[in-house]
Parts: sequence; structure tokens; C-alpha cells
Amino acid sequence: MRKWLIATVGLMVLATLLAACVPKPTPEAFKAGMVTDVGGIDDKSFNATSWHGMELAEEELGVEVAYLESQQQTDYAVNITQFVDQGYDMIVTVGFLLGEDTATFAQQNPETKFAIVDFAYDPPIENVLGLTFATDEAAFLAGYLAAGMTQTGKVGTFGGIEIPPVTIFMVGFQAGVEYYNEQHGTDVEVLGMDLFVGNFESTDDGRRAGEDLIAEGADIIMPVAGPVGLGTAAAVMEHPGTMLIGVDTDWCISAEEYCSVTLTSVLKNMDVAVRDAIAMAVEGTFEGGTYVGTLANNGVGIAPFHEFDDDVPAELKAELEEITQGIIDGTIDTGW
Amino acid sequence: MSTVWERIGARGDVSARRARTYGLIFLGVGLLIFLLFARGATADQATTFVLTPSGESQALPVPDLSVPSLTVLYGFALVCVFVGGWQLARGFRRVNLALGGVAVLFVLAFLTWAARDRSMNLTGLLSSALLRSVPIALAGLSGVLCERCAVINIAIEGMMLTGAFIAALMGSVAANIWEWPSWAALLFGLASALAAGALLGLLLAVLAVRFKVDQIIAGTAINILAVGITSFLSARILAEFQYLNNPGIFPRFSIPLLSKIPIIGPVFFEQNGLVYALFVLLIVTHVMLFYTRWGLRTRAVGEHPRAADTLGINVFRTRYINVTLGGMVAGLGGAFLVLGSVGRFDELMTAGKGFIGLAAMIFGKWMPFGAFGAALIFGFADALQTKLAILEVPIASQFLLMAPYLVTMVVLAGVVGEAVPPAADGQPYEKQ
Repeated sequence: MRKWLIATVGLMVLATLLAACVPKPTPEAFKAGMVTDVGGIDDKSFNATSWHGMELAEEELGVEVAYLESQQQTDYAVNITQFVDQGYDMIVTVGFLLGEDTATFAQQNPETKFAIVDFAYDPPIENVLGLTFATDEAAFLAGYLAAGMTQTGKVGTFGGIEIPPVTIFMVGFQAGVEYYNEQHGTDVEVLGMDLFVGNFESTDDGRRAGEDLIAEGADIIMPVAGPVGLGTAAAVMEHPGTMLIGVDTDWCISAEEYCSVTLTSVLKNMDVAVRDAIAMAVEGTFEGGTYVGTLANNGVGIAPFHEFDDDVPAELKAELEEITQGIIDGTIDTGW
Repeated sequence: MSTVWERIGARGDVSARRARTYGLIFLGVGLLIFLLFARGATADQATTFVLTPSGESQALPVPDLSVPSLTVLYGFALVCVFVGGWQLARGFRRVNLALGGVAVLFVLAFLTWAARDRSMNLTGLLSSALLRSVPIALAGLSGVLCERCAVINIAIEGMMLTGAFIAALMGSVAANIWEWPSWAALLFGLASALAAGALLGLLLAVLAVRFKVDQIIAGTAINILAVGITSFLSARILAEFQYLNNPGIFPRFSIPLLSKIPIIGPVFFEQNGLVYALFVLLIVTHVMLFYTRWGLRTRAVGEHPRAADTLGINVFRTRYINVTLGGMVAGLGGAFLVLGSVGRFDELMTAGKGFIGLAAMIFGKWMPFGAFGAALIFGFADALQTKLAILEVPIASQFLLMAPYLVTMVVLAGVVGEAVPPAADGQPYEKQ
């Protein structure tokens, strides 16, 4: 019996190792480690984009990079500890939910540099750079576009968990729709502002939420829930006449199979921000504080319309240009 | 000399105390409908229920049902009060039916209130509830098969996750590399998922039966193994080669005639093959468990393995077979998530559905249809939660997300009462 207990524990350890796979560190190179949020490295969303930034740093700066996946929220601290113990120079944590653990470790390890996606500290911590994004600006454009493209007069959105980096998309989107209504005297409705599926993993939940929104008449849906949104894409594929707005990355590229229904994507260029943060650390210009990606500095934006390029009227495209300028000037309020 | 309450209770086959509590609950629900909902509506408001599903459907078209919100709410409140009064005065023969009816009225009242001045798609709500319950029901069924022969299967989650991964991978290999026609690729993916589930079931059976490992620990180990391996392979294989994560989805097909029935038709008879597979599986498992020799032996092994052994039943073999079958059903649950729903694998995509399935099994008293009923309640609570959020009911999302679990607790404590597992559940059998 005991022997088999040991064997079982052995299996568990093996499984953990398989999931983790940290390469052995070599002494000289600058080492940067990334801790993901739950949802996996291949979430086609914020984990994947941030990791792409790490890969850029590897190519361009010769930095040694590695990642540890968090399978659940209790893994955050464990994974950060691993990188700290192995003497990594910089640790990038991905996601609002890692905010607390990152602060704790940053204060305990003042020599290590930290960057965290989607979190800002007030007051700032000396060795942490918060990478935040004014996604409301880009989502505002997407909302305006959606309001201009809907046939049913209803557009939909939903979130994973009700946290600021998620709701900022939804609020900007709604503000964009309302701005369109104001400008054109229309009455386009946004469904699902209160709808959250409660996780960032269950693609099946995403499909159901999408179907429920479609059943209530929405024909353009923006899911703000990482990979859960890919489940919504499957529902949209089966309902002719409905479209999808991707988030974080250009879904027409990262999730090609759904390109035929992707109107546009709200881009949050985390890869560039992560790369730049590492570059600053390598060059020794790193300072704690907050970076904000905006429309003005190309930190956020909306993706090309790809297959829908001919369907979007030229007039609407021109209006979007104008609004972009208005948001940059500060003459248009995105409601966040 | 029996009291009035005892007579009322005896009529519904419940204790005097319970009979009275039920009556008070019914009255309370009526009062709640009045206080919470009727007072929030005005006389000029109307609620529209859409009775046709969105998208294409074979169902005969039915006009939308538009009702005056306030009148309906008063009506519901009065019916509840009347039912409560009747229960207190005379008592219902089928008191659980009355309880179910009152619960349905409460939900309908909630919807009527939430959708006042707007419309909501009732058929869509029911269809969503059914689809959400399918993976939970399959997980529950897997649990029933295992625990009926006294092996606790806590590894359902891991088996589902593995089934989902294998379904996505093998389905994609067949469709995109071997270029099989899509139906063949889907069936191949499904068969592979069943095989993967069966293998993990067999592993659990070997650990639990042959080596008598603590079943909870063995199950947990399988879960952790499944999470690790699928996440690793998904990051290394599926993320690199996207065509290996695109197996397609089973198409919906309508069952002739039945699908024409308004409301019920599109909900139950316009789904994909895996949903029908669940229906068939439920009936087969129920008949097998309770009307065949195999079922009798399974239950005997679960209740009193020594007695079964004495009578010449091979306890070990029974457990091996059942746990392997249970693994296959869990694999089917995983395959549903991929081939019957989203058409791709993502890490941790089962998101606890296997564990909720276990709860459904207990809730359903270790009966196939009980587990399905429980899964339907979970699915309905989940679908309702989504609908209410879309209707912008002023309740925080965190509370809405609790709804399925609140429902469970209420129903467990109120209706189901004590659930008794098979007597030998979880105990390894040692031959003397």
C-alpha cells in the first residue's frame, strides 16, 4: 500500500514537472521569467500576447526567457518564488489577479525587477513597473463600429470575472455605442453589461453566453474573457449574420478559423509593453511606476477589418478616424 | 388520536412537521412574489416571452406571448397563497409536486418581473439550460456507474479533461491530416475520447481494486496528472500546430415530427448527436442497473461485496468493468465539450464540471435519472443567471453566479433529504 502511495505521489510530481518545465539557468545572461494567469500560455489572449513580448525580448535583446503557468490562483506565489529562488533578474507577472502576490515579492526582493500586466500600484513600488492599458479608448472605437454595423439594433458583450481590466473593455464599448446613438439619433442597445461567466477557462460557458445573447437579439458580440471567447466564436459561426469582436490580439491572426466572423479586434499591445519593460531593465533605465498604453502611443487600437473591409462603409471608417483623433485630443470622453 | 397535522402529513406521506413547513413555505413564496416583484411592476407594463428559438428551426412558429406583468404577478402570488392555504388546511397527496409547482411559479414570476417592458426568449433559456446540463449529467452518470459498485470516482474531472484533449487532437488528425470526411473524423475523435476515458478508468480501477490505494488519493492523482499532461501537450502541440486543434463540431439534426412541437421540440429534439446520446445512455443505464442481472450484481457489490462474493459474484471483475465504463462516460462528457460544443481544446476547459457532476450524482441519490434531474437544475440555474444578467436585474454578478450553488443547498436540505450512498462505497474489497 505504502509503495503505491509513493508511486502516486511520484506521478503527481511528474505531472507538475511536465506542466512547469523551467529550463536550467545559466549564470551570465539576463534572465526574465514570466508567470501566467490561469487560462494557459496558449489562451490566444493576454498570456499569449505577453509571452510574445518575452519572445521578442529573447530575439532582440538576447535575454533568456522562461515561463511558469499558473493552474489556479494559489499557484501565483509558488511560481514567483521559483523564479526568485533561481535568481531571475526580472519577473513579469501577467494579470490583475497577481497584483497582491507581486507586490509582496517585490518588497521582499528589492534587487529583482518586476513588471506586471494590468496592474498599477498607488503609491508606486520602486522595483515594479505596472503595465496598464487605456483599453476603453480602443473599445470605444469598437463600440462605435458595432453600433454602425448592427442589423438588429442590439449588440452584446460579456466578461470573464468582474475586475477592472475586464470591465474597462465593456464600459468603453458601451460608451462607443452611446456616442454613435447620440451622433446618428439611433437607438442601439448593449446587452450583457452585467454578464460575467465567472472564469477564464470554460469555453463551453462562452458558447452558452454567446447563444443567450444571440437569442435576445444581439448580432455583434464582444467577449472579454480570454479563451472563453473562443467558445463564443463557435456559437457565432453557427448563427449566420452574427459577428464577433475579438479582444487583446487580432483574432483574425491568432484564431484564424474564426476570421470569417471577426469584424475587428480590440488590441491591447501587451507584447510591445513587456518587451520595452525588459529592454529598460537590460539597459539599466528601469524605473518603478506605471506605463499606460493609449491610442496615442499605439499601446491600444483596433485591428483591421480583414474580411469585412468591404462591408464597413467608407463613411463609418472616416468617422472612426475622426473619433480616434478626438479621443487622443481629449475632446471625446470614453466613460472610464 | 392523531393531530390534524399528522393527518395532513400522512396524506402527502411526510411527517407532520414537514407538512406544516411546506404550507408555510408556499404562503411565504406567495408573499415574496407580491413583495419583491408585484410591487416593482406597474399596471401599464407588459412582459413578452419569445417562444421560437433564434436561428433556424423546424418548430412550428408560435406567436410571442405578451402578458400584462402586474396582473400575472398578482395571479402567481394568489395561486401560491392558495396552494399554501390548501396544504395547511387539507394537505396535498403529492406534496413534492406542489413544491415543484410553486418553485416554477416563483421562477416565472421572477422572469415576468425582470423582463417587464421588454422581451425574453423562453425557448432559448430552456435550450441553454439543457445544453449546460449535458456535461454535468454525463459526469454524474459516470459517478453513478462507479459508485454503484462502491468505487468512488473523484477523477471524473481529469477523465473529462483528457477525453476533451484526445477528442480535439484525434478528431483534428483525422480531419486535417488524413483528410477523412468530417463525420468520420468526428466519430474517430469521439471513439478516441471514449478509449482515453476507458484507459483512465482502468487505471483508477487497478489502483483502487488491485492495489487498494485510497480511492480519493488515487482519483486526485489522476486529476493532477490529467491537468499536467493536457496543459503540457496543449502548449507544446496544439499551440504550435493550430490545425491539430480544429476537429469541427457535430452538426445539429432535427428529429422529424418531434422537433415540430412548439417550445419542447427545439429544446429537446433539435440538438446534436451527443445530446441524444446522453438521452439514450440514461435510459440504457437505468434499465441495465435496475432490470438486468448485471445491474443486480453491480448493486450487490456496492452494498455488500462479501455477500455478493459468497454467492459467486466476481467482485473484482464487476468493479473493473464498471469503473472502466464510468471512465468512458466521463470521456464522452469531455468529448461533448469539444465535439459537441466549442470545437477546440483549451487548457482547464472543464472548469470543475466533473466535480459538479459528482454533486449531481449525490443530489440525484445515485440514480441515473436523479443525476440528470439534478444536472438540469444546475444547468437551469446557470442559464437563468445568464438571462437575468442580460436583462440587467439589479443584483451583483457575484451573487448571480452563486445561484446554482444556492439552489443546490436549498434543494438538498429541503427536498432530497438524506442521501444514502451504496453501503460499501469507497471501501476496497479484501477477499478472505
